[in-house]
Amino acid sequence: MTVRSTHSLTACELSAGYNHAEILHALDLAIPPGRITAIVGANACGKSTLLRTMSRLISPSHGHVLLDGKSIHRIPSRELARTLGLLPQSPIAPEGITVADLVSRGRHPHQSLFSRWTRKDDEAVESALAATKTVELAERPVDELSGGQRQRVWIAMALAQQTDVLLLDEPTTFLDINHQVEVLDLLTDLNHARGTTVVMVLHDLNLAARYADYLVAIAEGCVHVAGSPEDVLTEENVRQVFGLESRVITDPTSGRPIMLPIGRHRMAEEQDLKENRS
Amino acid sequence: MFFPTIDLIAQNCRRRARRHGLLTVILLAIVVTLFAVTLSLGQSFTPPGDVMRVLLGEDVAGATFTVGKLRLPRSVLSVLAGLAFGLGGVTFQLMLRNPLASPDIIGITSGASAAAVFAIVVLSLSGPIVSVLAVGAGLGVALLVYALSFRSGVAGTRLILVGIGISAMLESVVAYILSSAPAWNLQEAMRWLTGSVNGAQLGQALPLLLALATFGGLLLSRARDLEALRLGDDMAAALGVKVARTRMLVIVAAVGMIASATAVTGPVAFVAFLSGPIASRVVGRNGSLLIPAALIGAILVLGGDYVGQFLLPGRYPVGVVTGALGAPYLIYQIVRANRMGGSL
Repeated sequence: MTVRSTHSLTACELSAGYNHAEILHALDLAIPPGRITAIVGANACGKSTLLRTMSRLISPSHGHVLLDGKSIHRIPSRELARTLGLLPQSPIAPEGITVADLVSRGRHPHQSLFSRWTRKDDEAVESALAATKTVELAERPVDELSGGQRQRVWIAMALAQQTDVLLLDEPTTFLDINHQVEVLDLLTDLNHARGTTVVMVLHDLNLAARYADYLVAIAEGCVHVAGSPEDVLTEENVRQVFGLESRVITDPTSGRPIMLPIGRHRMAEEQDLKENRS
Repeated sequence: MFFPTIDLIAQNCRRRARRHGLLTVILLAIVVTLFAVTLSLGQSFTPPGDVMRVLLGEDVAGATFTVGKLRLPRSVLSVLAGLAFGLGGVTFQLMLRNPLASPDIIGITSGASAAAVFAIVVLSLSGPIVSVLAVGAGLGVALLVYALSFRSGVAGTRLILVGIGISAMLESVVAYILSSAPAWNLQEAMRWLTGSVNGAQLGQALPLLLALATFGGLLLSRARDLEALRLGDDMAAALGVKVARTRMLVIVAAVGMIASATAVTGPVAFVAFLSGPIASRVVGRNGSLLIPAALIGAILVLGGDYVGQFLLPGRYPVGVVTGALGAPYLIYQIVRANRMGGSL
């Protein structure tokens, strides 16, 4: 039986942005503890800004992000980093660094100037390598890995940090579809095995609906709708959030909703018409 | 579940850590050996026993002057300045993730140098106040370069290009002051143009030692955060590093160290730029580069000065030797950065 993370992460009347452009407007959101949450929305709707504000990379201009009822900007940063992990969109691997060394850097918040590397750190790195199936890559330089392998290594590093809450900013970007599924399966394993609360921004609506327990659709800096994938991924919501006509059917494999866009071309009727003409 | 290779990984990690430690000790041994050689072997040979006696304060006929007044100040200042240049340089390179972002390329050294030469030649100042002005100017230049290259965040390349421009301007300021000064000698001019430990005095060592201890200690205490910053600002923040505060602290410390050294020896060419990359080649990339780079800096200045004095036809200041070493490497780095965007 898994012990689910019980940490509550909520956004309260959150306004935030860059320079003077406000992107989030008094947004409210409660992340269900111990579940997988996916944040979706059109480009520039504020979904990345929301994730960055929730992981204190951006200070809100108004409102709060609360972890267990406490504003994250009030929690000492090292202490926060032991509960709340983040995999940003484009982390940098120092040239020539090996996988094992990179993953071990996830232990940073658990160490200080005076506490040396311990058995516990070793174990955390080992289990992170094992969970992400990167043990055999451990001695290789990160530069030499493929995109999918590299993303697994970064996730391993986030795992070594051993946080109960893990935020990920588009963890599947630039990956082939098989590696996208692999990464999302891995995060689901993690959620099942450790009860980690996973919050991720995803581009692909169907993968989001497939893997998330809780789906959050952002539009114009506010939560347009949030809930189970069945409640959120509807034709009506897709039209309102993305301005796209679509059909939503049930995925025969997963039983989750799946969205099929209706464009202006290559529709069945049009196809028939063309064939009749020729 | 059992993963047979995991023990091996941990073992290899420990082996690399040991190797890193061992190589650092070897670098330290080289610094000590070079220091000893420069004390006892110059134009004449002083037996190590005599050198020791002079160091202990005894009066040794024929050695007290050569060793105590000529060689010792020179070697001590070379070591201190080398440590400061090496440590300050690698700090900038690591923090900005680019080998070209060294303080002698982006104008910080020239800023300190211009301030020092202005204070000495125009204002006729001397002593610690010169160092203070140099540190102030170094920080001012750092701030200026940062501000000029700021456009919704600081991009490494923009900062380097702005820095190179500022650096060129400040070097012409140095040349202008030297050429319009009423009385100046070649030795003095060489110091402010390429760096030199000619005419070093032991009295200059104390302020530099203090700067090195304060700023160097501060940097070493931040070594782990600096390592985390190499993973990108976002990742470092996610690991619990206070990015803005750490960066500010690290910049002030590195500039303070570089500028204090520059106020004494002038901008010894390319030592800050070369130390980090050489250290990374020597000790590998699994472990902090700060101490190894500082030691390489000391080796470069000590060795460069010795070569310039005794091993070349004619006598050259240390900056000429390190400059000759550094210039080809600079070209190599620029070509490489042009191809792929370099990082350390």
